[in-house]
Amino acid sequence: MKKIRLCVNGTWREVIIDTDTVLLDLLREDLGLTGAKQSCDRKGQCGACTVMMNRKAVRSCLARVADLEGADIITVEGLGTPDNPHLIQEAFVLAGAIQCGFCTPGMIMAAKTLLDASPDPTLEEIKHAFRKNLCRCTGYKKIIEAVQLAGRFLRGEITPEAVRPGPDQGIMGTSHPRPSAMAKACGTAYFTADYRIRGALELAVLRSKIPHARIVSIDVSQAEKMPGVAGVLTAADIKGTNILKVQVADRPVLCKDKVRYIGDPILAVAADTRENAEAALGKVRVQLEPLPTLGDPEGAMAATAVQLHAEFPNLCFEQPQIKGDVQAALKQSSAVVEARFKTQINHQAPLEPEATIAYWEKDDAGGDDQLVIIGRSINIHFHLGMLQAALGWENMRYIEAFSGGQFGIKIDVISEGIAGAAAIHFKRPVRYIPSLAESMLMTSKRHAFDMRVKLAADHQGNLTAYCNDFLVDNGAYHSIGHVVANRALLMLSGSYHIPNVQARGRQVYTNNPWGSAARGAGPPQANFALDCAMDMLADKLGIDPFEFRLRNSLKPGQSKSTGRVVKEWPFPDLMEAMRSHYQRAVNEAAANRSGKLKRGVGLGTGAFGIGMPGDTSVAAVELDPDGGISVYAAAADPGEGNDSMLTQLTAQFMGIPLDRVRLHTRDTGNTAASGPAAGSRVTYMIGNALINALEQLKAAMQETGAKTSEALEAAGRPKRYLGRKKNEDAGPLDPKTGQGPSFESQVHGVQMVELEVDTESGKVKVLKMTTAVDAGPVINPQNLTGQLEGGMDMGVGFALREEYVAGKTKDWKTFKFPSIRDTFEMEIIIKETLRPKGPLGATGVGEMCMVPTAPAVINAIKNATGVWICDLPATPEKIKAALAAAR
Amino acid sequence: MGAPPSGKGKDSGRSVRVIAGREVAFDDDGFFDDFEDWSEEVFEALVHASGMALITDRHRQVVRFLRDFYAYNGRAPLNNELRKGTGISLLELDRLFPGGLKNGARRLSGLPNPKTCS
Repeated sequence: MKKIRLCVNGTWREVIIDTDTVLLDLLREDLGLTGAKQSCDRKGQCGACTVMMNRKAVRSCLARVADLEGADIITVEGLGTPDNPHLIQEAFVLAGAIQCGFCTPGMIMAAKTLLDASPDPTLEEIKHAFRKNLCRCTGYKKIIEAVQLAGRFLRGEITPEAVRPGPDQGIMGTSHPRPSAMAKACGTAYFTADYRIRGALELAVLRSKIPHARIVSIDVSQAEKMPGVAGVLTAADIKGTNILKVQVADRPVLCKDKVRYIGDPILAVAADTRENAEAALGKVRVQLEPLPTLGDPEGAMAATAVQLHAEFPNLCFEQPQIKGDVQAALKQSSAVVEARFKTQINHQAPLEPEATIAYWEKDDAGGDDQLVIIGRSINIHFHLGMLQAALGWENMRYIEAFSGGQFGIKIDVISEGIAGAAAIHFKRPVRYIPSLAESMLMTSKRHAFDMRVKLAADHQGNLTAYCNDFLVDNGAYHSIGHVVANRALLMLSGSYHIPNVQARGRQVYTNNPWGSAARGAGPPQANFALDCAMDMLADKLGIDPFEFRLRNSLKPGQSKSTGRVVKEWPFPDLMEAMRSHYQRAVNEAAANRSGKLKRGVGLGTGAFGIGMPGDTSVAAVELDPDGGISVYAAAADPGEGNDSMLTQLTAQFMGIPLDRVRLHTRDTGNTAASGPAAGSRVTYMIGNALINALEQLKAAMQETGAKTSEALEAAGRPKRYLGRKKNEDAGPLDPKTGQGPSFESQVHGVQMVELEVDTESGKVKVLKMTTAVDAGPVINPQNLTGQLEGGMDMGVGFALREEYVAGKTKDWKTFKFPSIRDTFEMEIIIKETLRPKGPLGATGVGEMCMVPTAPAVINAIKNATGVWICDLPATPEKIKAALAAAR
Repeated sequence: MGAPPSGKGKDSGRSVRVIAGREVAFDDDGFFDDFEDWSEEVFEALVHASGMALITDRHRQVVRFLRDFYAYNGRAPLNNELRKGTGISLLELDRLFPGGLKNGARRLSGLPNPKTCS
């Protein structure tokens, strides 16, 4: 140990500390300064822990405290507070650079260091200064703009007051700062791992290192004798069903007799410190008997394949879709293309690792004590029900902490099950804060799709037929699996009118990581095949791919692949908005193909369903004593800006200032069960339920003339109203034809990628992406463009770099997380066609931006080089191999 | 999120039955698809179909509490909230309805299925 004296945020401190302790842990664990975050397992890969030390930006996870005698440290908490923020914090809020907020404290400290040294930095200087700070939400564009804005503030060129929208600028369509943004900017927003509980047990979990095995024996006798150990938790200790059921009862909290993928949890050690728990884990003896591995869906469907789950066949879901007569249409078509497309297993990659806190609150009335779970859920009421059943404890509450992104991964209960089970078993508070590597092992992944496709057209270039026979790698557990296959079928024909469709989706259990929700969940994979086939067919017909898409747009009165006729379809207007950009891009690309660097242009489109058949939601509102409105709705906000949406819709509809809207969204104890923050449904479903509740309240206020809760109740009317939204279309697709109900609305998008391929190295550099989108009237422009920019960045990663390989992908480096060095120019075109059933005409936009991106990138590579990459990701190795084969 | 797959995998979805003269949609587990489809008449018909011999004031008290609680809060109560709100012990509450509180009382009161995603 060593005694060190150092200055933190202007206060001199003396600490006696292990020589291995890093500054991040001193700040978070000992000083309670939790603004700096831990994401990359202290490898210096993410920059979320960046602080200022002796006027330089340092990654505090790499700085040993023993080396810091006399150091001057400034953390984000030392920069400003929500009541008295620093100008850089103001700039990040006003530029819309804060989504989930997990990377924000590190970004702000990197900005402070840069701007102190270089008050008016160039773009390259900004990129250099932020090269070690990762962000998954924003695509970095607004972070760069925030740094530039902060520079202007600091140089005195403009003030925050001049930038901040005023009351005269209206509510709808104005970029009012997110209600939660300043707390994130100042490091006062509590993420799960930021909570400290004195005396809490820390957990370490033993996970399978092999994909399929029988558990023969478990010996914990030596582990239980280790220092600080409270005990070991196995499946036998769990009082409930031990099953975390979303759609199918197949995933255990802790495995009992078998493990089914690399990462399956076997047992948990609880100890006074995480280090002691991990040390004891090393003393556990588990004997596993390997079983045959189901490596892919085709192998798992073989007659000789072992059955992964005794209760369910490996081919666990199958849904055909038949519209018209494909075989007859194929015979009469002038041109047919046929191809096989594959997408990879991918990690959703929220920057915040998985985390759960569980503690007990005493029931004063003498009932069972209440177990409180704090975690990253995007569906707190549903997850509460799952946990109650799995753990056998009814009196439970779930609180959603601030959440560092999720992108679908938190549609499932993950670390909550083990943490809750341990809290019940040991009757103690518990913290389960896994590493990034363990978080990657334990969480769901984007499903891999294997698609065999035919697309046909007549001699005039009108689409005639489409076949897509796709296999979905379900992985070891079902989660929402068949919903993903169904969503692919519900949106199968994309933006286009295809009179004859023959498709089949099959979902197959394997020993791969279990698939679940991932931004878009199904359509990004299926649309990759369709929109690449569109370019293949346009090429064969000799038609420009832009004109081919426009010619084949669905029109009001025509039907999608589900047979549902659409009433509105503003896609052609988006194409027209893109036309001049496309012509410019094509001309520029043609002029840049003579050397080894070949430039290409690619298009992708998407019609993303909003308002799933059968979906319902509720939201409660209450008139407050001062005439303000309290909203009670479990609308999770892991970064999209749902707090803005609820606040701005309420203020707009009721005609009150934004600061009179009070949100209650995080606690099952005081929120309506509004449903998941998934499927781009929050604005449409919860927003509609909110408007319905406000309509009731407004009518009561108008009828009575009351303006406060006291006056309303004095007039004999309730102050609180429950609003509902129920979609009219409901029920499943027809099991034989796949025809049937559809979404209530769509968000439409067109994307154009301009890129450059190095034909020697196979490397791709994206130069620019232009997105045209129509999501209805815009509630908050910064939030909308923030979703699109982040989605473009994520889509390019999906197309070119990212892949999850179990056992190999274990941090942000091996994942190939996009950095600010990968950024490209982005331009967004917005159209605002009113959606009659949307809340104040709006829809949702969180996932659409992922749907057209991969095909646009692959089409652009083909345009540049002449080769098709049909197996994502399009790595330099694959491109080089394709170019060599073509030569 | 739709209904779970059964066997080889089809969404069996909801079913619509005519009860006490009105069409009522139920999910796979027999929960009301729509809170508003519930009525006293529908409740009594369902109770009789479930094999319960008699509807007592206790039953009506519990059902009224559950419906009022949901209409106010937009969620189902925890058992402790139900106990405090009705003054009935958990043991008695659990015995009142076939299937207990979650699958009996909650279902017959027209509250959403706790297993549904939304």
